[in-house]
Amino acid sequence: MIQVNNLHKRYGKFPAVRGIDLTVQQGEIFGLIGPDGAGKTTTFQILAGVLEASEGQVEVLGRSPRHARLNIGYLTQQFSLYLDLSINENIRYSAGLREVSRQHLAERRDRYLKLMNLDRFGDRLAGQLSGGMKQKLALCCALVAEPDVLLLDEPTTGVDPVSRREFWDILAKLASQGVTIVVATPYLDEAERCNRIALMYDGKIQQTGTLKQLRANLGLHRLEVRAQRLAEVETALLQAIQRKKEHDQEHQKTSSLVDIQTFGDRLDVLVHEHNAGTAAVQQILQNQRLTVEAIEPVEATLENVFVTCLRQQGADPPFISLPRSKPQYSTRRAADTAIQTQHLFKTFGHFRAVDDVTLQVHYGEIYGLLGANGAGKTTTIKMLCGLLEASGGQISLAGQTQDLRSPDLRRRMGYMSQKFTLYDDLSVLQNLEFYCGVYGVPRSERRRKIDWVLEICGLVGQEDTITGRLPGGWKQRIAFGASVMHEPEILFLDEPTSGVDPLARRQFWRLIEDFARRGTAVLVTTHYLEEAEHCHQMGFMVAGTVVAEGSPSQIKAAQPGKLMEIVTNQTQLTADLLKTQLDPWRVSIFGDRLHVVLDQPDRQVPEIQAYLQHYRFEDGSPLILQSLRSVPFSLEDAFIGIVQRAQEKSL
Amino acid sequence: MRIWSQCIKELAQFRRDRLTVALAFILPLLTLFIFGGAIRLESKDIPIAVQDFDNSPLSRSYIERLYSTNQLQPSIWDGLGTAQTAIDRGFAKAAVIIPPDFSRRIKSEQPITVQVLVDGTDVNNARVIRNSIQATTRFFLKTEGLADQPLINVHSRIWFNPGREETLYIVPGTCAVILWIYPSLLAAIAMVREKEQGTIVQVYASSLSAVELILGKGLAYLIIGLGIASVVILISILIFGLRFAGDPTPLLVGTPIFVGSATLFGLLIGTRVPNVTTAVQAVATTGFLTALLLSGFIYPLSNIPFPLSLISNIIPTRYFIPIIRDAFVRGTGWLGVWFGLIMLAFLSLLLFNAARRNLSRMQLPD
Repeated sequence: MIQVNNLHKRYGKFPAVRGIDLTVQQGEIFGLIGPDGAGKTTTFQILAGVLEASEGQVEVLGRSPRHARLNIGYLTQQFSLYLDLSINENIRYSAGLREVSRQHLAERRDRYLKLMNLDRFGDRLAGQLSGGMKQKLALCCALVAEPDVLLLDEPTTGVDPVSRREFWDILAKLASQGVTIVVATPYLDEAERCNRIALMYDGKIQQTGTLKQLRANLGLHRLEVRAQRLAEVETALLQAIQRKKEHDQEHQKTSSLVDIQTFGDRLDVLVHEHNAGTAAVQQILQNQRLTVEAIEPVEATLENVFVTCLRQQGADPPFISLPRSKPQYSTRRAADTAIQTQHLFKTFGHFRAVDDVTLQVHYGEIYGLLGANGAGKTTTIKMLCGLLEASGGQISLAGQTQDLRSPDLRRRMGYMSQKFTLYDDLSVLQNLEFYCGVYGVPRSERRRKIDWVLEICGLVGQEDTITGRLPGGWKQRIAFGASVMHEPEILFLDEPTSGVDPLARRQFWRLIEDFARRGTAVLVTTHYLEEAEHCHQMGFMVAGTVVAEGSPSQIKAAQPGKLMEIVTNQTQLTADLLKTQLDPWRVSIFGDRLHVVLDQPDRQVPEIQAYLQHYRFEDGSPLILQSLRSVPFSLEDAFIGIVQRAQEKSL
Repeated sequence: MRIWSQCIKELAQFRRDRLTVALAFILPLLTLFIFGGAIRLESKDIPIAVQDFDNSPLSRSYIERLYSTNQLQPSIWDGLGTAQTAIDRGFAKAAVIIPPDFSRRIKSEQPITVQVLVDGTDVNNARVIRNSIQATTRFFLKTEGLADQPLINVHSRIWFNPGREETLYIVPGTCAVILWIYPSLLAAIAMVREKEQGTIVQVYASSLSAVELILGKGLAYLIIGLGIASVVILISILIFGLRFAGDPTPLLVGTPIFVGSATLFGLLIGTRVPNVTTAVQAVATTGFLTALLLSGFIYPLSNIPFPLSLISNIIPTRYFIPIIRDAFVRGTGWLGVWFGLIMLAFLSLLLFNAARRNLSRMQLPD
């Protein structure tokens, strides 16, 4: 359906795409992943026929993209909707542009709105929809012309996990109906649901294959290590890897440990082989007299593949600790409460955006506030920063309950908002200098701090670039740098990693953890549940209230029932079948397998087994159940379970 | 019909945006009232000082005649010092000095010089005052039957008979300027907003052609512009007392063409500039200034110096002002305005073509 040969694109002298070859078959979900500035968006624009290629052949449906435009649906990174038009008006306009007849329009509109669960909101303005609903509507607009090819450029960026999962379920359904889908996403867990994945970096495709093939190419396995004193365990293992590396360079021998990543209450260790790796880890930790609670071998994730591949390309952004001028406060007040709210309320008219929120964050703690779009996270943060007046309840920041807007207190706080806080028409340097001034960084320190930001962003020597021209992920990193240059004691981060690539996200979290270790209290919101595992404490918000709180392990452990993983030869069909038997939210597709949440596994597992084994296709052939086993809850499964149960209760 | 669906969408967006709707209808009315009501090229109640050395019945009736127009009125000058001091101190804008032998020489039909001193600080005003006094003098001589002067300057008559004719001159021109500025401003914003919000990519990704896009958007803003036109002209008729002087069909035909050219001008600007701020500035400077200064609205076309006069030839407002003035003032109908209509149609085509060429690729710029 899509055939690309040796595609090049240059902007002036700057090469954005440097020779891409790819082929996409009908009915395939093809994932395009890569860091910011890898050339993904350019590729999409060329495929959609809105940008001219500099060189190379591109064929979509056997024609040039420009001539195939009527059969292509294209969703852009920005919401491709008219926010001041209603849902129906948006759809009618898209249909008009693509010459859809009136009868078809009515029928398809009803069908797709129903599919997206938007059929009740026909007259609502697009601007009043949540991020997830907007993207579903945009998809609806693209689908109304029944395109054969869908090009989706990061459609789920900034969309909450529940909506994202729904979105991907819809994609899976469309693909099973024969629609060809090319999709880019910064969320690697959802990219695992693609049939094939291409890894893009620096204008080129580095690897292409199914998840299985990519894993096989990687040749590495993952161990989840749980231990009490995690920080020390990490240091011990990192030192071991470092030693092995030096050793390797002399002997050309492969080490058994490759990479380590901290996730809140566990470590992920990449090893060449399960058993040897486990033994190695145990050996190292025994030497250091550290106790291990559990080591569990699991399969490598797409993120492991991605990160390893990019490391080989030398794209790892450096981790450098912020040069400090203030004394560390970790020892002084580790036990003190930095942020505290009691029965916090906020109402907008009749709408309760935040309803009775009580939370507490200590110095040196990372607190994650999670929830769907519109759950009240941003409103809470804004009230804590003093940007919004609370309608009721108490806030205490750094021990102060009064005068939260005082200049002195504000100098001790850092805030990075969801939307970029940088001036697009200033250069990077001018932006940073401006923020130095605003936060009162002493003149003598400025140069050092600014250099640090440039270094962590990999922008040394490019400080005169106009900020507006940088990709979103880069802007996020600069904005983060700008908000912490004054070494705040309390840091508020509102979706700091939205739209940032995995490698940069790891760097973000290392920086955040570094701040926490030095005693900064961090309150962070995120849509990436995999990275929420970095938090020490987290609160799940649904409709303005915190419905669950605890460490990632506590939250997962508190989940009722069991999570089952099912593998069959017909993933999509099995999902559809199970959704008729169970609540739809309990069933979700992950690449070639299904995750099913069961509240009474003892009774339900045999039922499902029997049901699937007795299913017959029209031609009488059976559905083959390849495996059915219990897996530990991921934070995402927990999140969806919590949100759905909370919503069921409120209905 | 993709043009139609484009048009419907534009109208729906326009209707949704309360602020734009308010701007589209309130600002033009404000402009109309400012230009039509507040700005007067004539002057009224100018204080003048009169020094009568003759003090005869004839000279007194001359003075009365001067004051009987509503343009001039006696200053509060106390009569001390010379007439010049009255001007110097700002009591009077002009002084009329009647010589001692005024009535004697007029009766013997000898020429007489009445000295008039005019405050020249305000050049425009000075000219008005001079004309006015000259005209009054001529009128005075004529009514007295003393001097038979057939050559009465028609031009100065306007100043001599102020009031309604001033409105007739200003208001139709104001309508033309309003109908040029606001539709083009709205159209430019509509075009550039799509670029700013990134929705233009969706348009590019569909196979909508440049012509369809321009016609669709153009049609929507033509309809809105005609809405503005009917409101503005209706208000002019109701409040400023304008009446059709003759056949209104040239105006009915000319208005859509003119508003269309304004819309196309706005769209052209919209295709060229990157954001709303620039679009507003571009339309305001190029559109407003040319429509105001080079269109014959305030300064007669014949007064525009050479290189600028060439520019005025490609300004649509220049052709529409005679059409609308003809409809409300002269009333000559088709015969007087057919050329302007053709020029308007021609310029619209030119603007359309320029906008189309800017968009011809319907692709993102490199």
